[in-house]
Amino acid sequence: MGKYILKRFLLMIPTLLGVAVLVFVLLRVVPGDVVELRFMSGEGQFADPQMLAMERAKVGLDKPMWKQFLDWMWGIVRLDLGVSMWTGAPITEEIKLRFALSLQLAIMATVVATLLAIPLGILAALKQDTWVDYTVRVFSIAGLAMPSFWLGILMILGFLVIFKWLPPMVYTPLWVNPWQNLAQLIWPALAVGYRYSAVATRMTRSAMLEVLREDYIRTARAKGLWTKLILTRHALKNAMLPVLTVIALEFAFLLGGLVVTEQVFNLNGLGMLFVQAISHRDYTLTQSLVLLVAFVFIFVNFLMDLLYGRLDPRIRYR
Amino acid sequence: MAINVPAETIAEVSLAPARRAWIAAAIKFTRQRPIGALGAAIILVMAAVASLAGVLAPYDPLATDYGGMLAPPSATHWLGTDAFGRDVLSRIVYGSRTALLVGFGASVLGATLGVFVGVASAYFGGRVDLLVQRVMDIFLSFPLIVLALAVVVILGTGVLNVTLAIMVPMIPRCALVVRSSALAIREMPYVEAARAAGFGHARIIFRHMLPNVMAPYLIMLTAFLGQAILLEASLSFLGLGVQEPTAAWGLMLRGAAVEFAEAAPWMALFPGLAISLGVFGFSLFGDSLRDALDPKLRTL
Amino acid sequence: MAYLLSRLRGVGALAFLPVLIVGVVLPSPVMGQDKPRYGGELIFPVPSEPPSYDGHREETFGLIHPIAPFYNTLLRVDPRDPSGTKPIGDLAESWTVARDGLTYTFKLHKGVKFHDGSEMTSKDVKASYDKIIFPPPGVGSSRKGQYEVVEALEAPDPSTVRFHLKWPTASFLASLASPWNFIYKADILVKDIHWYETHVMGTGPFTFVEHVKGSHLVGKKNPTYWDKGKPYLDGFRAIFISSSSAQVAAIRGERAHIQFRGFGPADRNSLKASLGDKITVQESPWDCILLGAINHNKKPFDDKRVRRALTLALDRYEGSKALSKIAIVKEVAGVQVPGTPYATPPEELAKLAGYGKDINAARDEARYLLKEAGAEKLSFTFKNRGIPMPYEPLAIWMIDQWRRVGLNVKQEVIEAAAYYSVLRKGDFEVAMDFQCGYIVEPDLDIYKFISTDKNPANYGAYTDRVLDDLYVKQSRATDYEERKKYIRQFEKRVLDAEAHYLMTLQWHRIIPHSSKVKGWQITPSHYLNNQLDAVWLSE
Repeated sequence: MGKYILKRFLLMIPTLLGVAVLVFVLLRVVPGDVVELRFMSGEGQFADPQMLAMERAKVGLDKPMWKQFLDWMWGIVRLDLGVSMWTGAPITEEIKLRFALSLQLAIMATVVATLLAIPLGILAALKQDTWVDYTVRVFSIAGLAMPSFWLGILMILGFLVIFKWLPPMVYTPLWVNPWQNLAQLIWPALAVGYRYSAVATRMTRSAMLEVLREDYIRTARAKGLWTKLILTRHALKNAMLPVLTVIALEFAFLLGGLVVTEQVFNLNGLGMLFVQAISHRDYTLTQSLVLLVAFVFIFVNFLMDLLYGRLDPRIRYR
Repeated sequence: MAINVPAETIAEVSLAPARRAWIAAAIKFTRQRPIGALGAAIILVMAAVASLAGVLAPYDPLATDYGGMLAPPSATHWLGTDAFGRDVLSRIVYGSRTALLVGFGASVLGATLGVFVGVASAYFGGRVDLLVQRVMDIFLSFPLIVLALAVVVILGTGVLNVTLAIMVPMIPRCALVVRSSALAIREMPYVEAARAAGFGHARIIFRHMLPNVMAPYLIMLTAFLGQAILLEASLSFLGLGVQEPTAAWGLMLRGAAVEFAEAAPWMALFPGLAISLGVFGFSLFGDSLRDALDPKLRTL
Repeated sequence: MAYLLSRLRGVGALAFLPVLIVGVVLPSPVMGQDKPRYGGELIFPVPSEPPSYDGHREETFGLIHPIAPFYNTLLRVDPRDPSGTKPIGDLAESWTVARDGLTYTFKLHKGVKFHDGSEMTSKDVKASYDKIIFPPPGVGSSRKGQYEVVEALEAPDPSTVRFHLKWPTASFLASLASPWNFIYKADILVKDIHWYETHVMGTGPFTFVEHVKGSHLVGKKNPTYWDKGKPYLDGFRAIFISSSSAQVAAIRGERAHIQFRGFGPADRNSLKASLGDKITVQESPWDCILLGAINHNKKPFDDKRVRRALTLALDRYEGSKALSKIAIVKEVAGVQVPGTPYATPPEELAKLAGYGKDINAARDEARYLLKEAGAEKLSFTFKNRGIPMPYEPLAIWMIDQWRRVGLNVKQEVIEAAAYYSVLRKGDFEVAMDFQCGYIVEPDLDIYKFISTDKNPANYGAYTDRVLDDLYVKQSRATDYEERKKYIRQFEKRVLDAEAHYLMTLQWHRIIPHSSKVKGWQITPSHYLNNQLDAVWLSE
């Protein structure tokens, strides 16, 4: 078991390295660099080439590519993300507040999704092929079908017209003012959670159906819904693994993937930071962000693998 | 039944049972899977609208009218006009073409390439498999928005490039699912036999493995269809997709539609409904198809 | 949903009314009718965050809005002048210009203190300008080229600064009024010339409190400000909000007072509709304009007739009427902002190609020219920059206008950050280009159009020595009428005779702000008038 964990853990390294190489190369293939953007767009008609060269040297763009890459990697090894090319501030400082927001939103949305998905999925399975099942499925698929930005626009508009509610100006961290913080994030969390509940609902339904097909439960068919639910409780524990996986992976995705939602609800999270960093050609910040998000994703995957092993003894470690 | 049929109608006869069988199948499908039938109906309507856009649209989708900007829905403009006085209904009708084109293009390409990668990875196994899996992992863990942004920035915007940008992230998702099915097939006696008989890799893959992963392929394809339409709308909304003055749903939700959301809500409401309905149709159909094709109900 | 929709429609009908009202209310006299009141914190959203704190280096208004209140400049543009063209003293109390126009001598205010308590003297002014004009080796300056005319700078005594010029120029005072040229402390620059990139320490009316990245920046009143009695505010809070709808929401929810860059017409209408008298709207032509860059290296755009057809096809007057309802553009303008000293009056402007009042005649001429040039039914790609406002609506309008003379134009949008690489490479036929100034001054505004070999930021890729010559002539003309004459000739050549570049519509700056904000005057530039020393809140 220990050996398996170690092997799985070590396999994360080539993947992360691959992500690092990919983002590093992609950024440098894309036209434009941070210096050009800063001093040669806008009204920078007078920019002097000597100065541009100096500015490039200052952010390390004059070094050969392999050197830039090794410097970055060496920093990562020492847990030093370096400084942003655009602001010159340490990347950890740039990310701090945005990460807190994105993490909280991801957690809240995941809670919403789970609270919707599990009861609805179980209900749909118990009432398979009845109007209850159909309603649940239509409801959850509708969430998947509505573009989140559109839903966001409609929600904000609805709140504005009906309650005179306006989206907040700045993010209030939970530790500063919990009430205000929750009031800020509850709407986007609902919008996002509803949307991401769809796949989990489907998985729950499937898992439950599978359990219901087991013989001892079939025999209990006559005994009513409640009994059935109690009977399935233990069997469900294992069957729910894929549901857990889906929820965990969605959580990892939500952390950095809510660009449009953040935009619509004016949340200054990682998604917006991504877009900003790319549009500033802030290589160092973009690289770190991509690596961070990829790491969370891969790490969650790794945890799920371990969990599979613990919960389901049928899975043998290879 | 067909005993007394005159010779002239033979052509029809050979068709009739087929048609009847088709109708019967449709009825059976509707009865057993009403949700899937609803989805199929929506898809059919959408396809019809897209192919008959020229006939159905009351106006030229590009025709501006600076005297009639931001007009509310009325008898002349059923769904109102946009910030340039263009008819919203006509633009929605023409927009269905863009949605279907990008949706089908991206998902067929993505799922097909995914199948090849997945099957090849499973078939060759060993080092190749390990390597392919790592590469797929890299793409899976790479933030979608960065990938899409990069593709669009490098290649530029426009229908073709957007299709590519949407297709890329679909490949590893499909490959992953197909690979696990293909792993089982690889151990099947007939594959072993084919290999023992000295058939080439290509032949074994095409003849024996691909046909047996059609179920997961179809499932992934239908699941992607809706999502591709949605992604196209999102990218266009962000300004990274299809470009004006082409009619596209996501594009219609951009700019003035948001700025005038309060004063001219029809601009945001109807294109959004069109997207939702389209994606809804494909998702319902896909969901039912999965129920039908996937006995273990395990596919993501 | 039907209920929601009907509610919305009701609001929509309301929201359209104020358009008419706004026109009547404006321009409201903002300055000086009340006695300023002390106290209060001015809260304003800023659409972008400063990348560093060094004004000498950056080019974004995202630096000016939150950082300018901490500093003074030698001269500044009169904050009460709506045309934004009149330089007045800031740290300079007075100045004299030698008869030959080559020596400018400035007397500085006495008793000016930096926020660390030390005295500000001519040494600091000289050090700051030396950093901008004569940066030491290893230090860059993005504005060096703009001060090519300066021969040397001296500080003969603690309250005097003298500039020696290489040739006389009409625009020198205006260029010293640049809002970017903060006066820094000489001792600090000697120790570390990059210090100001990461720190704030000036002589301005406000002192730095904190900057939380991705959130806000706070300043508080400088109690020992040299200009006695100012500032009126206790402090200010700049809040970084990139989404424009969230900025509007901040004003609408009365959580913020003003946003200094500008809003779109839709936002102005909805703010006015929901807040009524609590909102004051100030509008002005904006010293920014989108241009059509026509690549002279690509056939058939090397043909003057084709270029003229492109500008003739645009119905600028109808465009102005329609687009001003949905985008931040309005005035039909030549190379100068309408209403400023060197602008061409409307009746004279109407004589230029594409500015005539008879659009049908203009379009006939355009079709004729295209036919003659063998470019009938020409198809080409118009490259546009991936910025929504006002690039997108203008592009839709232009493509539609060109369609009406038989041109088939496809739009290709390029991500904003990659855009200038494309322009520099000349990889386009016709493309959207942009010009924006921090002050209305012909030298800055028309520099764009001189030959590409002299100004690489001219993307038309042409060489026109007549134009270059006219540029120098107007720049060195010290007589107003003489300079005006050269500018007119320049304008006619670039827009009409040669049709090198084509102008769309002048941007239009709309600032709907809380009626509590007093003592602030809109100008044609969002880089100007952000020191906040004279701004006060009525309650």
